[in-house]
Amino acid sequence: MSPLWGLRNLARHPLRTVLAVLGITVASALLLDMVLLAGGLERSFERLVLSRGYQIRVTPKGTLPFDTEATIGPVTPLVTAIRRDPDVVAAGPILAVALHARHADSLLPLVGYGVDPAGQGSYDLLEGSDLAAADSAGLLVGRTAAEALGLSVGDSVRLVGRLDPQVATTGVQRTMVVRGVVRWLYDDRTMRSVGTLLPVMQRFAWPAGNDRASLLMVRARDDVLAASVVARLREAHPEVGVNSVTDLVGQFRERISYFRQVSVILGTISLAVTVLLIATILTITVNERLGEIATLRALGVARRTVVTQVLVEGAALTLAGGALGVLLGLGTARYLDTILTAFPGLPASISFFVPQRQGLVTAAALLLVTGTLAGVWPAWIAARAPIAATLRGEAP
Amino acid sequence: MSVLVARDLTRTYTLHGQPVEALRGVSLDVARGDYVAITGPSGCGKSTLLQLVGGIDVPTSGTVSVLGTRLDQLDDRELTRLRLRRIGFVFQRFHLLPVLTALENVELPMAEAGMPRRERLERAHELLRYVGLERRERHRATQLSGGEMQRVAIARALANRPAIILADEPTGELDAATGQEILALFRRLHADGTTLVVVTHDDRLAAEAGRVVRLLDGRVLG
Repeated sequence: MSPLWGLRNLARHPLRTVLAVLGITVASALLLDMVLLAGGLERSFERLVLSRGYQIRVTPKGTLPFDTEATIGPVTPLVTAIRRDPDVVAAGPILAVALHARHADSLLPLVGYGVDPAGQGSYDLLEGSDLAAADSAGLLVGRTAAEALGLSVGDSVRLVGRLDPQVATTGVQRTMVVRGVVRWLYDDRTMRSVGTLLPVMQRFAWPAGNDRASLLMVRARDDVLAASVVARLREAHPEVGVNSVTDLVGQFRERISYFRQVSVILGTISLAVTVLLIATILTITVNERLGEIATLRALGVARRTVVTQVLVEGAALTLAGGALGVLLGLGTARYLDTILTAFPGLPASISFFVPQRQGLVTAAALLLVTGTLAGVWPAWIAARAPIAATLRGEAP
Repeated sequence: MSVLVARDLTRTYTLHGQPVEALRGVSLDVARGDYVAITGPSGCGKSTLLQLVGGIDVPTSGTVSVLGTRLDQLDDRELTRLRLRRIGFVFQRFHLLPVLTALENVELPMAEAGMPRRERLERAHELLRYVGLERRERHRATQLSGGEMQRVAIARALANRPAIILADEPTGELDAATGQEILALFRRLHADGTTLVVVTHDDRLAAEAGRVVRLLDGRVLG
């Protein structure tokens, strides 16, 4: 005979047990999602901005990367100066401008990036080759742009810059050749983006002589040195904003603090629902079995044993519901992520729900402890039931 | 030596705000090997007396000693332990755990007493053989007839080799033929030296006992 014979009581009312487990499943799935959501966006953002190892961003003073249309300039001497820092291993400018591409008989709006392949942290090459240092006709296209324009490596496309939409006059037009297909790390799902060397893109944006960029990405020798590099750059270049990834994540955290608040509130509610559900089910089953419990006590079964059996029932319900809740929670998180990350302007590689071992362990421990504790009150009722009076109540 | 000594037991309940005297100064002595029947009309205090001497209820006044141990001097843990090891209960409605098999129901008090699994399984088999249910060991309580359930309950009461068996209307829920089987089993238990105190309405069962204690309105007659 198993010492956990109390567990078999769960099989006495299968429908009730199944419904209770389903209730706990839903509540624990919500709890899990809230735990994932609480820090998920922040972790995902940090992972994104560090994805190519660039720990520092140099932006127009008082702005965040791509937050405004402000630019830094002249950028070439700034990049040269930054690259001279002994702890800097790479630095590269990025310029984002509005572009158009001739497609059939229309003009397709694009985002154009001016980059320096020697120090770029904004794309991953998927097909073809990267731009060479003097390749003024070379073009990198994102998947969305490639699909929209029907382009593949080696194809040509006519790009149009400085288009005045009022009079449909163009400042500059140029035929470019696709060298590679890339994934632009900071693009949302709908953005059609292409990239050229920075000087070429500057000419698409302005007349000659405008040596400007939207931001610079800087990579220090290691993460520890990044802070001292930031300090030196701030001192040497007070005209620009210099932020480490840690600073950016901090600012991002402030902006999304409501996510954490919402997730904490909803997570707490789901825990409370779990506790109430388990306590209710166990109270009902204990009240139904008071006669049996009184018999056990009469036979000499200790209060401790009775309490243990009731707590084990609560723990079993929690474990079963919790295990199913993990599956449901991860599935729901994935589904919600596809909806939320489709939001315009949000990088496609950002995720709202990021599983993290510590978070999962915390949620599981919290659920198991509270689920078990939910049995304390019913267990107390069971253990304290007066034996004789209860048996008299059971008498015909 | 007395297995059970009860002195001047009274028990007053409060029912709808009114005191009800279920027992009014009852004394009882049960020696080792005795077979005592407690009889009387409904409401005369028979079951209350059994619950008091079995340590599952507390007298309003008076004392109960089992094997020389005063029950009123024990805390809940000690009293529970005494019930487990020294007293066997048989109830009118059997009170088997429906989720357990006959074998597991018999094992339960031994498991609670910490008996090793192999030993308690051996004893449970032996007890179920004793009550004639060796072929029904694997059946759940709900799959047994009333007589079978009561025989399992008797085997369970014997599990930890108690000093005394207290039975409350053990044939009360059974038909005449099945009641006879239980009577025969009690006869055999007594012949094997078991000390028995049986509360009953059943004249046949009372007639089997070596001594009959008659209660009326909470007092012993005669």
